[in-house]
Amino acid sequence: MEEFQVAIIGGGIVGACMFSELTRKGVSCVLLEAASDVSNGSTKANSGIVHAGYDPVPNTLKARFNIRGNQLYPAMCARLKIDILQCGTLVVTDEANREGLNILYERGLANGVQGMRIIERDELHTMEPNLADNIDIGLYAPTGAVISPYLTCIALCEEGVVNGGKVLLNFKVDKIEQQGDNYQIFAQDKSVSAKYVINCAGVGANAINALVNAPQVPLKYVKGEYLLLDKSQNGFVNRPIFPLPTKAGKGILALPTLHGNIMLGPTAIPCEANDTTVDAEGIAQIKQKVELSVKKPNYKKVIKLFAGVRVISGDDFVVEHLPNTHYFYTAGICSPGLTAAPAIAEYLVDEMIKDGLTTAPHTFVSRKPYISTEKLSKKELKELIKQNPAYGKIVCRCERITEGEILDALNSPLHPTDVDAIKRRVRPTMGRCQGGFCLPKVIKLIAKHYGIAEERVCLNGQGSEIVK
Amino acid sequence: MYKTDVVIIGGGPCGLAAAVGASKAGAKCLILERDERLGGILTQCIHNGFGLHLFNEELTGPEYAERWKARIAGDKNISVLNNAFCYSIEREKDGFLVSAFSGDGLVEVFARSVVLALGCREKPAGAINLCGSRPAGIFSAGCAQKLINIEGKKVGDKVVILGSGDIGLIMARRLVCEGSQVLGVYEIMPQSGGLARNITQCLKDFNIPLYLSTTITRVVGDKRVTGVYVAPVNEKLQPITELEKFIPCDTLLLSVGLIPEIEIAGDLGLEFNPVTNSYTVDEYYQTSLAGLFCAGNVLHVNDLVDNVSAEGERAGECAGIYARSGLDMANRIEITHDEHIKYTAPKYIYNTHTGTAKISFRVDKNYKQSIIRAVSSGVEISKRPAPAVTAGEMQTLIIDKSKIANDLHLELLVI
Repeated sequence: MEEFQVAIIGGGIVGACMFSELTRKGVSCVLLEAASDVSNGSTKANSGIVHAGYDPVPNTLKARFNIRGNQLYPAMCARLKIDILQCGTLVVTDEANREGLNILYERGLANGVQGMRIIERDELHTMEPNLADNIDIGLYAPTGAVISPYLTCIALCEEGVVNGGKVLLNFKVDKIEQQGDNYQIFAQDKSVSAKYVINCAGVGANAINALVNAPQVPLKYVKGEYLLLDKSQNGFVNRPIFPLPTKAGKGILALPTLHGNIMLGPTAIPCEANDTTVDAEGIAQIKQKVELSVKKPNYKKVIKLFAGVRVISGDDFVVEHLPNTHYFYTAGICSPGLTAAPAIAEYLVDEMIKDGLTTAPHTFVSRKPYISTEKLSKKELKELIKQNPAYGKIVCRCERITEGEILDALNSPLHPTDVDAIKRRVRPTMGRCQGGFCLPKVIKLIAKHYGIAEERVCLNGQGSEIVK
Repeated sequence: MYKTDVVIIGGGPCGLAAAVGASKAGAKCLILERDERLGGILTQCIHNGFGLHLFNEELTGPEYAERWKARIAGDKNISVLNNAFCYSIEREKDGFLVSAFSGDGLVEVFARSVVLALGCREKPAGAINLCGSRPAGIFSAGCAQKLINIEGKKVGDKVVILGSGDIGLIMARRLVCEGSQVLGVYEIMPQSGGLARNITQCLKDFNIPLYLSTTITRVVGDKRVTGVYVAPVNEKLQPITELEKFIPCDTLLLSVGLIPEIEIAGDLGLEFNPVTNSYTVDEYYQTSLAGLFCAGNVLHVNDLVDNVSAEGERAGECAGIYARSGLDMANRIEITHDEHIKYTAPKYIYNTHTGTAKISFRVDKNYKQSIIRAVSSGVEISKRPAPAVTAGEMQTLIIDKSKIANDLHLELLVI
């Protein structure tokens, strides 16, 4: 049985940050993911915002890890060679709610958020020409940013792998046994052994805790539905536009994605643990509420509906060490979890070291970023195609993705096998036709790469075969 | 740098005809085709019914494409580049710079004029706000057609089809022929948007039920589709959820509308028509930017390929004349129309007082008996009776340009 110092259960953003943090410290480490790819739960379906930190109540874990995470993101993205859109964020409202905005501003100051300011009507409407007419004032936080949450998670895992870690996909943990000093972790017929275990299972947090008799955390699940608009709507808003938050959450926002789409959402609807369906009521609610902050978006340009589940535990994150064991667990990492994840990992790794985890000198290996031919100059592109003609063959028309880029994704460190996994890495089927044109070609490329029949190529995990 | 008179972007039915037209005008032209072969969507349309108007024969899609390929074969004015994906059109002095991936490199072509012949794409599930889950087994009808007819794959065993446009109808029959069970075609509108002959030949002849004023409210299934909920809709097209019913199936085909592929010219500031979701053109099929032409399904989604070819040929000819000697663009008139007519293509006509002009248009709904006519300065200058006009079918009216005075107005008179 393969033995590691640390086993991380769950390949969402928290697990991925742990994996990267530990491998860079020379710790031998395995990441166990139940699905066929990392970033397949809450991490793939959220707003993708690095929050500035004015929302959480001061002196909570949320506040602490949000602020620290926000500080860590720019350098982390640079290290991972992924994009971050440092556009700032805006919370907008009308004159009648000025007091509410001031409270948020004060809370931001208490949390240590840098550079915030209240912006008055004229300047606000110049910054964002598509704000609703009734909007008078806004809280601008320049340290807010937009990232691709799934690509961030994938990049962290890839970095972990090139730095000596191991990722096991389709590893659905169903048993954990203590054997001497180590935990044996089983998934059907497979198993690994590790001295430390960290539960980053997100929606599955309690199921994993139950395997080691760790406490059950009171969890509730809240679904967030989104509408994604075509890239032709790029510029509708220049940064995330939030309404004034309420007790129910941060409200329904309009934001640009890293790739130039516009996203509207999320709703906040109590749901079952894995319910990512979208309802007509949810769509209606998004349309109604987003128009309180911005002018009517062009709904004819919607290309995709999706939903993600946030896992909530009371008012704060749960980040714990089970006493007298080497078992650590996280739960209820809802918003601002994406922002907080690098800080949670930094904290937990420190705690593990205090608990006796040994690190080793390690020479850092930088991950290889995905080439995006769309971002290259004509000269660079010509040179690239000369080296490898696959970069001259277009597969996905809408996103202008070449065969070379798809082959790069197939050859990447986690060896993704599914159409959606390729989509999350290099974007074929992500555009305005949603795969109507390129799906058959992508299926072919995957089948050829792995030497399998096209009938075995899945959309997202076993059982999601596309053609018969 | 490659130089030519006319660049034609797209080698489907419109682009092939445009090449014939450009050559007829004595111009040299280059077709940039993104696929490995010419023919566009025709290559996967193995059913018959193409060419009834142009060739007076019922051809299959590939046969129809072959007729046009034969017409350009050996024509020294016409060059073709397959595997060429055009990604930018830049306006330059006296012409356009068109850049394309060429399969093994990049090509740049300078041309005096450009014909957009890019066709259209299908609306995805998101565009119709399809609710429920997002498992494997949801295909646009055209994608399924490609998988079946070109790749030789089966897409599912028990299939539900949403949308009764022509592709949906054609695919219903195709799936049955390939051994799948088609449980029904669901159409949100009170009438099918497809051709009457397709309803008979594709559904009735195969005992496939068509449910009008009914839509799919939710998709069910985690990894693969396990079923859909359907419900009738009220007059506002809202589903009556109390009447929702579950249909177990493993596959859903969407034939819910086509969108012109205009994005390549998105930065050129062309005049846009929200009704067609495309650019406006004059009688030469020229957009608001001189030298840039647009025809076929990228201009407006046609019901018959014969019309696409006719438009393409005319656009190519005009692009050729533009490149060689220039077009007469004096005395431009905007064609106006009444509320029964949704749009006209062309939108502008030049009052040259000679020759004829063909105006294509669609009406807002079905009419049993009507008259279509053109009026100029209060005088009726053209008219034809139009029995059984449907919203889906393209209408045309020929105008004698010598009769145009100062304006041109199209009307549909309901009898």
